[in-house]
Amino acid sequence: MGCCYSSDNDAAEERKPLIPHPNPDSKPPNGTDWSASNVPSARTDEQALLTSILTKTAQNIIDVSATDSQGMEQHEYMDKARQYSTKLAVLSNTLPQKKAHFLPSLTSQPHQVLASDLVPYSDVQQVSKIAAYAYSAISQIKVDAKEELVVQFAIP
Amino acid sequence: MEATLEQHLDETMKHPAIVGVLITDQQGHNLGCRGSLSDEHGGVVSVLAKQAAGLSKDPTDSPTVCLESDTGNVLVRTHGSITVAVHKMAS
Repeated sequence: MGCCYSSDNDAAEERKPLIPHPNPDSKPPNGTDWSASNVPSARTDEQALLTSILTKTAQNIIDVSATDSQGMEQHEYMDKARQYSTKLAVLSNTLPQKKAHFLPSLTSQPHQVLASDLVPYSDVQQVSKIAAYAYSAISQIKVDAKEELVVQFAIP
Repeated sequence: MEATLEQHLDETMKHPAIVGVLITDQQGHNLGCRGSLSDEHGGVVSVLAKQAAGLSKDPTDSPTVCLESDTGNVLVRTHGSITVAVHKMAS
């Protein structure tokens, strides 16, 4: 981009409005033409220069989000969806199946277990006691601060 | 820090017939284990205790779940925020 006054084409660009007027035939509500030269010319030039700078800046900006959403057609969406699901189906076949973790020593003869004596109450009591001790041991766990968490950097 | 808990686990394993012990939190995270019960049993143990507690109308009632088999029992018990599972061989 050269100097603002470098070419004659700039003069035409300078007067181009940044946002096109929605209805060019209609007059503004106050009845005056906004491009009419009833404003001092020095001010108009300044406005026009600013407008030209804005226009050029806007032309140099690439709106990535807008580009992305515009370029996708309905059938492209469908194609991509199909492509991804095919890929997923292929990949999921190669994934190892997660095995369930069984608790140890399950029985193959339930009738023996059902016919046997009840679980001794002492066992139940023992488990209750172990659980209570464990709970108290866990409640003793606390953070043991050994050094400062926030350290000052030596700023000369 | 967790030395008391580790010591408690070791002492539990010294009991005759006990071959495994596991402690988990309410989410099934393993807080400590020994013997036949290991990391991956944490989830099952905590869910078993939670489901069993759901059978009782009394929220303060804490049941002991016992899984019986011909070679031994796994007893599951909740105390406060933790659940303990003990694998005990048939004597």
